[in-house]
Amino acid sequence: MQKHVPHRHHWLLAGLLALTGCYYDYADDRLSAKTGYRPVYASYAEVRQIQTLSPQPLKSPGKIYIKDKFLFINEIDKGIHVVDNTDPAKPVRISFIAIRGNRDIAVKDSILYADNAIDLVALNIANPRNVRVAKRIENSFPYSAYPPQTNVTFECADPAKGVVISWEKAELVDPKCFR
Amino acid sequence: MKSLYVLSLLAVIMACQSSKDGSISPGAGVGGSMARFTVAGDMLYTVNNSSLQLYSIANSANPVKGNNIGLGFGVETIFPYGKNLFIGTQTGVYIFDITQPASPKKLALYQHIMSCDPVVAQGNLAFSTLRSGTACRNGGTVGANVLDVIDFTNPSAPKLLKSYPMQNPHGLGVDGNLLFVSEGDYGLKVLDITDPLNAKEIAWFKEIRTYDVIPNQKVLIVTGPDGLFQYSYANPKEITLLSKLPIE
Repeated sequence: MQKHVPHRHHWLLAGLLALTGCYYDYADDRLSAKTGYRPVYASYAEVRQIQTLSPQPLKSPGKIYIKDKFLFINEIDKGIHVVDNTDPAKPVRISFIAIRGNRDIAVKDSILYADNAIDLVALNIANPRNVRVAKRIENSFPYSAYPPQTNVTFECADPAKGVVISWEKAELVDPKCFR
Repeated sequence: MKSLYVLSLLAVIMACQSSKDGSISPGAGVGGSMARFTVAGDMLYTVNNSSLQLYSIANSANPVKGNNIGLGFGVETIFPYGKNLFIGTQTGVYIFDITQPASPKKLALYQHIMSCDPVVAQGNLAFSTLRSGTACRNGGTVGANVLDVIDFTNPSAPKLLKSYPMQNPHGLGVDGNLLFVSEGDYGLKVLDITDPLNAKEIAWFKEIRTYDVIPNQKVLIVTGPDGLFQYSYANPKEITLLSKLPIE
């Protein structure tokens, strides 16, 4: 039946508190650490190119969208698989719309809306084997400036250099960003 | 004159059909619960991490940027139902009224602990999964893995009816008395929600990893890191695999 905490435990507690107090100083050390992530850029012109390709293999499927007999499957950051799903027992891939930085899809009539990195594009999919850009609204979405990992040091992304399409592990000199 | 009657009768029937599945958008398709884009009427609603951005698509080929509404942080999903938009964020579910499509009105923020949380709705009930995990702001340390059933009969004052424990729920879909829940690495669960206060698990497919689902006309479409799977739930007691597009 020990009701009072011995004094030395108070010291231990104070010591622990002092340690947590140092936490923010260590944060500076982490910022100057050398291993981290570096953005890989593509030019805006390159990222804004949209192409209709022959069916591509499913590698990293994201969201899905149904419109009439068509099924659209997002390939994360790469584009959209167009599938004829007239018979759900025998789905037929008919084309792939290559769209960099794509994650989201919605359709009205024969127009498909998609995010193309920082832009919104309206695509005419009346002929899914030959998709046309009907309209592009530039800078519709925030510029992505963080690696997917957390608790990492990284070289801050610079919108002037282009669109960040991926992050690579690298030895960094005086990185300024942390997440 | 007769053909006009037939036409208007047809229009009524079609209107009933589209309202049955909650879709309010002739010409639009159906998205999943993880969607960040949705079409309702003549508007395209998009959410990014911190706001709701509208585009008028009265002319579908010519979207025109509309209002932008700030929503705080951690915005994840958007789901239209009837005259409401449900927006899942890491701190709760926003309910907006879109009677005026270009000017959504915030009715409520149903708050919960920080987790990732898509939401779907049917009737007067919204179903929202909360999950913890690395993709969420708080990593695995904070957050919960549950399915919440929320009554929004009064959309300005949503009420939590019941919380069910889950493994690691991601996207979900509802059709009639069936609720489909993606359980991430833990598979796919099918619940009978005839009595939403006493949901019964009727199937649990553990062999596939799942991310999102869309139940549509008795066919359930499931995606995940293993590919795309389609199941028939015409007979809920015997849900059968129709096809599979595997990862290559």
